[in-house]
Parts: sequence; structure tokens; C-alpha cells
Amino acid sequence: MMDVVLQQVVNGLALGMMYALLALGFTMVYGIIELINFSHFSVFMTGTFVGLTVLNLMGVTAVSRALTGWTLVATLIVLFLVTMVITGLLGMAIERLCLRPLRNVSGTAPMITTIGVAFVLINVMLLTFGPQAQRFPSLLPNWRWPLYGTAEITFKQLVLFAVGLVLMVILSHLVKRTTLGKAMRATAQDADAARMMGIDVDRVVVLTFFLGSALAGAGSLFFGLYYGFTGYYIGYTTGLRAFTSAVLGGIGSIPGAVLGGLCIGLTQSLGGQLLGVKWTDVMIFSILIFVMVLRPSGLLGVRAPQKA
Amino acid sequence: MTRRVLVAAIALIALVTMLAGLPGGLTAQGKVAKIGLSLPLTGADADGADAILKGAQMAIAEINAKGGAGGYKLEAVVFDSATPAAGQYDPAQAATNYKKFIADALVLAAVGPNMSGEGKAISPILSEADMATITPSSTNPDITDPKFQSQYRPKGKAVYFRTVTTDAYQGPNMANYLFHAQKVKSVFVLDDGGAFGVGIADSFQKRATDLGVKILGRDRLDPKEADYKTILTKIKGLNPDALYYGGVMQAAAKLATQGFEVMPRVIKAGSDGVYDLSWPKQSGKESVEGWFCSQASPELVTSQKLEAWVTKFKNEMKREPTNYAITSYNAVLVIADAVGRTASANKPITRSNLRDAIQATKMSSIQGPIAFDANGDILTRTVSIYQWRDGEIKYVGVAPEK
Amino acid sequence: MIALVGRLGARLGVERWRALPIARRRQILTPALLGIGLLFPVLSGNAGNVDAAANAFTYVLLALGLNIVVGFAGLLDLGYAAFFAIGAYGYGIAASGQLKPEWSSLWAPLEWAGQVSRLVIPGQPDTVQFHVAFWPMLAVSAIICAIFGMLFGAPTLRLRGDYLAIVTLGFGEIVPVVARNWEGLTNGAQGLGGIRTPRWFGYDFGFSPYPYYFLGLALVAAAVWISIRLQESRVGRAWMAIREDELAAGAMGVNHVHYKLLAFAMGAAVGGLGGTFYVAKLTTATPDMFTFPVSVMLLVMVVLGGLGSIRGVVLAALFVSFLQSVILQDLTEYIHALGRLVGSAFLQGVELITSLELIFGVILVVMMIFRREGLWPAVRRVSALTREQQTAAPTRGSVVDLAWARPEAAGGAGRPLLEIEGLRKSFGGVAAADDIALTVHAGELVSVIGPNGSGKTTLFNLITGLIAPDGGSIRLEGREIGGRPSHEIVAAGVGRTFQNIRLFNNLSVMENLLVGEHARLEAGVLGAIFRPPRVQQEEAQAVERALEGVAIFGNRLLPRIDHPVYGLSYANRRRTEIARAIMTRPKVLLLDEPAAGMNPAETLELMDLIRGLRGLGITIILIEHKLDVVMDVSDRVVVLDHGVKIAEGAPAQVRSDERVIEAYLGRRRRAA
Repeated sequence: MMDVVLQQVVNGLALGMMYALLALGFTMVYGIIELINFSHFSVFMTGTFVGLTVLNLMGVTAVSRALTGWTLVATLIVLFLVTMVITGLLGMAIERLCLRPLRNVSGTAPMITTIGVAFVLINVMLLTFGPQAQRFPSLLPNWRWPLYGTAEITFKQLVLFAVGLVLMVILSHLVKRTTLGKAMRATAQDADAARMMGIDVDRVVVLTFFLGSALAGAGSLFFGLYYGFTGYYIGYTTGLRAFTSAVLGGIGSIPGAVLGGLCIGLTQSLGGQLLGVKWTDVMIFSILIFVMVLRPSGLLGVRAPQKA
Repeated sequence: MTRRVLVAAIALIALVTMLAGLPGGLTAQGKVAKIGLSLPLTGADADGADAILKGAQMAIAEINAKGGAGGYKLEAVVFDSATPAAGQYDPAQAATNYKKFIADALVLAAVGPNMSGEGKAISPILSEADMATITPSSTNPDITDPKFQSQYRPKGKAVYFRTVTTDAYQGPNMANYLFHAQKVKSVFVLDDGGAFGVGIADSFQKRATDLGVKILGRDRLDPKEADYKTILTKIKGLNPDALYYGGVMQAAAKLATQGFEVMPRVIKAGSDGVYDLSWPKQSGKESVEGWFCSQASPELVTSQKLEAWVTKFKNEMKREPTNYAITSYNAVLVIADAVGRTASANKPITRSNLRDAIQATKMSSIQGPIAFDANGDILTRTVSIYQWRDGEIKYVGVAPEK
Repeated sequence: MIALVGRLGARLGVERWRALPIARRRQILTPALLGIGLLFPVLSGNAGNVDAAANAFTYVLLALGLNIVVGFAGLLDLGYAAFFAIGAYGYGIAASGQLKPEWSSLWAPLEWAGQVSRLVIPGQPDTVQFHVAFWPMLAVSAIICAIFGMLFGAPTLRLRGDYLAIVTLGFGEIVPVVARNWEGLTNGAQGLGGIRTPRWFGYDFGFSPYPYYFLGLALVAAAVWISIRLQESRVGRAWMAIREDELAAGAMGVNHVHYKLLAFAMGAAVGGLGGTFYVAKLTTATPDMFTFPVSVMLLVMVVLGGLGSIRGVVLAALFVSFLQSVILQDLTEYIHALGRLVGSAFLQGVELITSLELIFGVILVVMMIFRREGLWPAVRRVSALTREQQTAAPTRGSVVDLAWARPEAAGGAGRPLLEIEGLRKSFGGVAAADDIALTVHAGELVSVIGPNGSGKTTLFNLITGLIAPDGGSIRLEGREIGGRPSHEIVAAGVGRTFQNIRLFNNLSVMENLLVGEHARLEAGVLGAIFRPPRVQQEEAQAVERALEGVAIFGNRLLPRIDHPVYGLSYANRRRTEIARAIMTRPKVLLLDEPAAGMNPAETLELMDLIRGLRGLGITIILIEHKLDVVMDVSDRVVVLDHGVKIAEGAPAQVRSDERVIEAYLGRRRRAA
């Protein structure tokens, strides 16, 4: 029994790290322009298809020969770079075309727009690739190591943990120590004041979107590599869980996104073990509602969302 | 300016479509018997529905080429029962389609629906109008169950006929097979939360319990969820002999891959929901290896007797047939046969008479003998068992009935 | 030729139409539309189309309900399908064989009323069979949904727009999951079957589309009527005020908790009606029918038509429903035919219906960027000013004529009206108010001055309830108001204007003023809908008073009384805000920098107005930077610096106080 619980903990942490990857980009964008960007999760889903296409163009498919050694490393580097650039550009395009015109509009118009963009992306992918799941080539080796009893940990899970933690450290450093980070934080607190200090607010927003969407792209590739599949609908459920993670951890906070993700992942796996997975949605939405009502600043957040 | 143009355009389109629906559009030349086909031709179930449509179309073409049925030319009236809001079949749309059939005096019978969810909505409508439909694929037993007669056929007479047998047999017979042939003593049951999946998982579970198989648990997969490791780890911890999955492909695609990772050696079985030729492509050959699945009909597609039929279908319809394409084909033949019999008995070809004739069907077909019981269910209750081996579906045999 | 005549006729017709007053337009439109609605089944002749129309009415009903929540009150509800589901399942469970509790004598009265039967099964205990009639269930569903509306809305009350939407999305997801998992109640994923169709005195609606069509038409007509009545009432104005500026609405006496819950309840109730109607027609209900895409489709309808625009929502809902069930399919046929004509395989394979969700997404984006007010926004007849009005010399009225604005003189002038003791408030580490004590006597004019950031506006916000004090007390006429919600404080008799003018931008001058009167009026939801004579009289008097309030500014505001305030000049916006504050009939009026941005002439006029207000007996607390104004009108001056009161006394005294000078100009450097 202990080994089952241990396995659930390991799975939950890995799952949580997946949510964290998604939540990181989302929380960054929110931190700057205080917009709940629904389309972020559709960009994530699009990233998986972009990655799939890139791999297919390189001749790597689900049924082709497995890659090893330097070929593997090179393929991964190309895959990540190309996909992240493309999703980053997609995010920039969304900001420029759909969100900038609404920058000064108060109320819910910007969020409704992101819902529209999300729907457009989902359906374009659906119409292009069809409703069935697509297999993602399994590039990472399938090594696994036993932990205790039947519990084991896989190489893919370790990579996921490592990447998540590294990204969190890099992003935190970026935001706290670099000039760009300072510009981002200044814009987040008072865009007008930042502008008056000579910060090109538009450029900062664009860069943030690029960064956030590129992160979504990276997350999407990890999704594909970890689960071995993708489909037009994955943005929705995974996205809502990632959103809950960001809110739980404290929206706008980078370590919060990771902490929140891990908490949600553990809730999903341990809660599923205890109650059965058919209540997972209810559990997670209840957490979301509780956090929003009782502690909107989340676990690590500092600023609570302002009343309009 | 643009707004006025837009409003005018909308009004124009609405007007045109409304006029198109006016009775003036009917042209009756000679004796025509229309068959209504309401299928979810777009959305998640489009592929299966398409196969059914083509099976029916092939039958209609054949009969017309031979001069029609009882002197009547057959014509198909096809409506889509899927809506984007549902993303798949929509019972309300199906109900609207069937009401359109009933409003069209030339429609005498229907083939369909594809999904039982649609069936529940349309069966009372048919009962009211005393018109018969023959479904090639709807397997939920409630619709024809006499226990629910007041819900689904208030007027009493059977109107929902099937050329496929029901989940009342598909689920339990798989349980029989697993118990007897695979010596399964404990099982964990999963469903995908859909109407079909829950129903068949329930019927499987009940039979397994009656046989004395230990049910280690029952849970639900979310088709939109990516990660099933939680439930699979839990199941693995319980150490079952087998895992049964009631549901369709959207969850199955992930269940196979992750199930293979977590518990490769456990016996896994599903229903006709996982009899889907694209499964190896979606999940990978190795993941699908060894899975059992079933069909609510005798083995048809790969049987020698049907080779000619399958070749003809592939050539004319440019796609692979499914078992339900064949049951659909036969459904049309049943209707044609009924029209013929009613005509030769010198009775007027009305919906009522046609329904009676369909009820009295005794026909042999490429799927074997076709006759219906008083509820509209097909008398032959064969359930076939298959297994996925090496990326292909292999017929195992007929499922034991006890 | 025909086209030319048609166009001429159209232009003339349109202009004459636009010239009619709204009431007259309604008198013509209502019978015309009802006529078309009643005749449509006959004209169409095709039962399939009538059936599609009846289905469309469900969505129109739901869209109207969503419009109350999103359009009127500005609360973005992304989980509205939950109420659709609750209404549907409510009726479904009551009218099908789903529940079979054991028989007990408790059920006897319902059996007598014909709503349940006793099922005798040999060998088993008797059970109850439910077959509740449709008509009472309409009302019951509406009530149950209203309760759930308040339940789901309650957690969102303090949340901002985006967050509110997410919480409602959460509830919208939870409801179908519960429906799917709670099999005992809902039959789970299988759904309910055999739901009884409505019966009207023995006539069973059955499966013919016609009775449903007329019932749907009646429900839609009722919903439209209720929407219009609510929109043009005190309730509707309160909702729109909350939508425009929740903070200012509170400062005008609108209880945002009450009205937000009311909006959720009313919207949910209409949704429940839609659900009951839909399921009675379909006779089955499954959890899949109430998922997120349905909520999005309803949002698309409301956005496309125009948030808050009743006719827009109805037209857009009809359009989208027909788009889905008829237009796209036929359009696809044409495209296929075109494809066959030109031999294009691509055109022949196009299935527009699969791209409907894509179209929804595009609609949302395009509408939000280019036409946020929707395709058919609410009519606002704004009359342009005549030449004379534009060039007229400004005139003034007299504020002392406003008899109703005179506060009751209980206790006479000179008694302490507002008493503040030990008031404290900190933001983070910064003390914005540090142990402030102040007593304002009835009839006084006290000015509060101090350098920027000294805590003057914070003081106002504390008094008017926008923020809660950390410590100390504020008493109005002996009653503690510190920490009370702002609408209560307004009702007690404190009015205010804002430093940076917080008007309800999309509302007209008249509507802004009427919101100001909110706390002094009484009409509730029922009064709004049914308009008994008492409510009509109340409204008429409110309008009269508002006109008098506007008249104190002479011909500056009167000709513009129906104009939305975002179009007014800065000075006129100030005037509107002051007039709105007067409409709250305050005992104490807090004016926050009313002369900001005014030229000397306007400033003089303002000082006159202030004196006039004092003449009415209103006590005034004034924040001003223009020290000449302060010196002229004030009885007393209070000086704040960094949250501390550093001086208080007669104007001349304060002006020469050393601490005051230091605060404004900085500490004098001692010569080195």
C-alpha cells in the first residue's frame, strides 16, 4: 500500500510540474497586464501540433526508428528552439492584433476576446488535424528506476522536475535582477509611471507575451514527450488546472506558479486515489473557488486582485 | 451602411431558406418511398456515421437498380444530427430531424439513429406517428425494454427496430467470455462518463458480479483529461486480473498507452467502442496489443462470405466498411422487403402498414437471419469477441451466452 | 428603377421612424412582431421549421436571462448553462419516473393535487411516482434556479470581473459533473427519459411542434417585457450603475450585494424557465447538453446582439440558432452545388457546420475589437442641440428653490452632526489617517486642506464607507457609521463628489441623477415589473426632482439631459456630479475638489452654489486646493499633513499658522 501512495506522490509531483510549466507563462503575462489570458492554453495546445509538424518535417514520427546520442540531443534542441520561437511569435501576434486595441478598455472585453481567440485556435487545429488523438514521437528514453516496492520513477519525470525548477530559477532571476525584469515589474505596478520613466511599455508587454508564449511552447513539447499524444482539446482541461495552480500559488508570483502546480498535481493524484478520479474536477474547481473567495492573493502572492 | 447591408443579407438568407422549406419544393414523380437518415455526420462520431450512411446508400442504389421495392423507387433524405455546441450527436437536433421526416408525407420509414442518446429522444416521436426506424448501431437496451415502454413507446407498438443487438448482451457476454475463457476472477471497471460507456460498463459489471467475479472498483475517466496515471496506479495497487473499459475512443486512446506503461500484463477488455481501426494509429501498436473488444453482431467484415460485398463497398464508397455499415445496409433491405410485402398484399403503403410489415420480417441476409421480437430487438443475439494482435483486429469467436 | 424607389422609400421611412418617440415605436412594433410570430407557423407550413423555431426560442430565452446578468449588471457569467441544467433537471426529475421514494402519508396532499401517484407493487413497499404538472414546475424551476443563482453568485461578490467569470465557469463545470455522477438523482450519464410533456386542460402537447412554438413565443414575449420593465426602473438603473462604476454606485446608495445577487437570481430564473421548456419538449435530458460550449454560445449571442440591448440579444439569438440549425446547412448545400458547378473537390467537401465554433470565436474577437456595443445596441435617442441652444448665453437657476433638498432640521443648527474621534487607517506601513478628531456642526462649512498625499481623500473615503477604518469612530447624529457599507451611510444622509469625477459614463445625465436618488426611492423588483400606480408616481416625482436639480445649472445641462455623460465637457461633468450628489438629499455633503479644472468664472459660480447649498441647511465639508475659495466660504478650516491634523480654526488664523506654512512649503533651512 505504501508503494502505491509513494507512486501517487511521484506521479502527482510530475503532473504538478506539468501544470506549473503552463502556469509560469500564464502568471507572467497576468503579472504585467492583469489580464486572464484564456488563449494562453490554446497556444499551449497549438505548440504540441507545431512540435509534431516540426518533427514530421525532420522525418521523426511515432513509428520511425528511435533516436539516440547526439542525434537525439540535436533533434531536441532544434525542436525546442523552433517550436518556442513559433509559439512566442503566435503569442506576440495575439497581443498585437487582439489585445493591444483593448489595452485601455476596462471591464471584461479583453478577457472575452481571449476566449474568442482560444476558440479560434482550438477549431483551426480541429479542422486541420481532425478530432482524433495524434501520437507524439517518444523521443526521451524510457528508463525507469525502482523506488520502493512497486513504486518507480521514470527518466521523463526527472527531466520534467529538473526543467521546471530550472525555469523557475531562471525566470525569478530574470524578473528580479535584470533590467528587463525591472521594466516588467515597473510596468506591472503602474504602466503610466513606467512610461514616464522612459520604459517602452509596448515593448515590455510584447516581450512578456513572447516569453510567456515561448514558455507555453516549451511546456507543450514536454506534454507531448511525456504523454506521447496530443489532441485539439488538451488546452481546456489542462489549462484550467494550470490556471488554478497559478491562482493557488499567487497570481503574478513565479515560485507561486510552481508551488501551486505541485499542490494541484498532488491533490489530483492523492485525491484520485482516495475518492476516485470522477470527482477530480469538482475537487479542483472547489479549490479554485475557495482560493478566489477566501484568499485571492494565493499562497505566495502579495497583491490581491483589485476590485474594479 | 455596412450594418444595413449585413441585416439585409441576413434577412435575405433567412427568407430564402424559409422558402426552400416550403412544401412547393416537393416533386413527386412516380411512386417514391423516402427513407429518412438522421446521423451525426459531423463532429466526434463522424467517421462511424459516414460508414453507416454509405452502407444505406449502397443498399438503396442496389434496390433501385433492380427496379425498386414493390414498384417504389427508394430515396434517401439525409439530415445531420450533430451540432457544434454538442461537438457530437445532439438529441435535440435528432428530434428536430425526425419531426421533419414525419412532416414529409413521402418519408415512410427511417434508418438510424446512430447513438442511443438520440434514440431516447426520437423513439416517443416515432411512437406517436406510428413510423418505424431501424437502427444499425444504437445498443442501449432501455429504449426497447418493456419496463420503459411508457417512456419510449407510449402507444405500445414497437417502433425502434434494430439490426444490431443490445448492450443487454454485449456487456454481459464479454463478462462471460472473460470468466470462462480467460479465467478472470477479479476486475476493475472503468467508464468514460458517456451514455453509452456507462450503460455498457454497468451491464458488464452486473453480469460479472453474478458470475462471482470480484469487482475491485468502478471509476470514471474524463475523456478531456490527459493523465490517467492516478487511476491506473490505484488499479495496479489493487492487483486485478482484468480491466474492463466501457466507452469510446477519446479516452481509450490514452488509456491504452498509459495502461501499457503502468500495467502491461493485466488483461484488458472493452466493448465495440474500442473496435476502431484507427486505434493503433492513435495509441501505438504495442499499447493496443492484447486488448479484447466486442461487436453486437456476428462477425461480418472479415468473413469469407462477405468478401464480395466488402470489395464492392470499398470500390463504390471509397472507404473501409465497418460492421455497422453492414447492419445499416441490411436495415434498408428490411425496409425494402417490407414495402414489397405490403404492396403484394395489396395494402396501401402507409407508415403504419410498413411498421407492421417490418415487425413481421423474416428475412435472410448477409448477417444471417433477421427477425424482430415484440420489442423491436433483433432475435439473433450474437456478440462477437475480437482481440487486437500486432496492430490488427482478429476475430476470436462468438461470446458465450452464459 | 425599383431599386431607386426602394432606396428612396427606405430612407424616408427610416428617417420618419427615427423621429418617433420610443413609446410610439413600441406601440407599433409590438403588435407587428407578435403578428409575425403568430403567423410564422402558418406561413412556413413546414413542421420541421416550426420545430426549429421552437428550439430557437429556448436559446432566445436563455440569452435574455444571460443579458440580465452580463448586459445589465455587467457580471460576466461563463457558466450560465448551469442554470439551464438545473431548470431542465428540476422539471425532468419531477416529471419522470426517476425518483421512487417509499410511500408515506406525507405525499398524500400531493397525490390529492394530482402531482404524484401511489405505485402499488405486489411484494414490495409502495413507492411514489412523480408526474408533476408542467405549469407549476415552470414557477418552481424559476424559484429553484433563482436560489442557485444567489448561491453561485454569493462567492463572487467581492471579485473583479475576470475573477468573477472564472468562478462562474467553475460552477458551470461542477453542475454537469454532479449530474453525471449523482446517478440516484439524475440517472447519471444515461440521462432522464420519458419526461412528461405539458398538458393543458386535457390537451397533451405531445410531439407536435406547434403548441411548443406558441408557448415558447409566449415565454420569450414575457421575458422581453420583464427585461424592458426592469431596464427602465430603479432596479435596472442600479444594475447599470454597478456595471459602470461599482464604487460610485455604492456612494450613491446602491447596495451592490443586494443588486448583484438580484441580477444573478433573475438571470438564473429565466434560465430555469428555458431549461424546463426545453426538456418538456425534448422529453430527455443528459449532462452533455449543458457543457461549456453551450455557455459560450449564449455569450456569443449576447455579445453579438449588444450587451444590455434587449432587441439585439433577441435578434442575435435567433440568428445564431438559425445559423446552426438551418442557414449553415443550406449554405453548405449551395457551396457544394457551386463546387459541382466549377468542379472543385474542395468546395464540394466543405462542411460549414463543423466550423461553427470557429465562427463563434471569430465573432467574439471581432465584436470586442471593432464593435463592443454589439450589432443592434440599445436605442438611445439623443437630440442634437438647436442653434439657439448652442449659442445661448449661460444661465443659472437657484439651488435654494429645491425644497425637497432641505434636510430635516432635527435639533436645529449648531448641534454636532458629524463626530470623528481617534480615526486611524494605514496602508501597508503608511498611516493615511493618524488619530484624527473632528466635529462638524449642523449648518457649518468646514474645509479640509493640506498638501498632496496628506490624507484628505482618505478621510472622505473613510467617512463615506469606501474603506473601513482601522480604529476610532465616526458618528452621524450620534449613530456610528464607521466601517458601515457605503450605501447605508448614504441612506443615513452623507453625500459626496469625487476628486476625479466618477460618473456613470454610458448613462445619460438624467439617469445619473436618478441613480443619485436611489436611496430615496423604494421600488423593488415587483414594483419595477408591474408598475403599480404608486411606483409610477414615485418615478414621475423622481424625474421631476431630477429636472429641478439640473435646472440649478440653467441651460448648461438641461438641453443635454438625455446625453450620455461621456460626451459632456469637463465643467458639465462636474456639474452633473454635483447635481447627482444633491439628489441623494444629504445632511452632510462632502465635496472633493469641486473647483478643480474650473476657470475663475466657473469657480465664482461654484462658490455661489455652495452658499446656496448652505442656505438650504446642508452641512458641507470641502476639500479644496484653491485657497481663495477656501478662505471665502469656510467657517472653519482643518489642515492635514501626513494623516495628522496639524491645525484647525478660522480661515485667517490657519493661514498664518507656522506649522501649516511648513507643511506646504517645507521646513525652512536654518542658515548654515
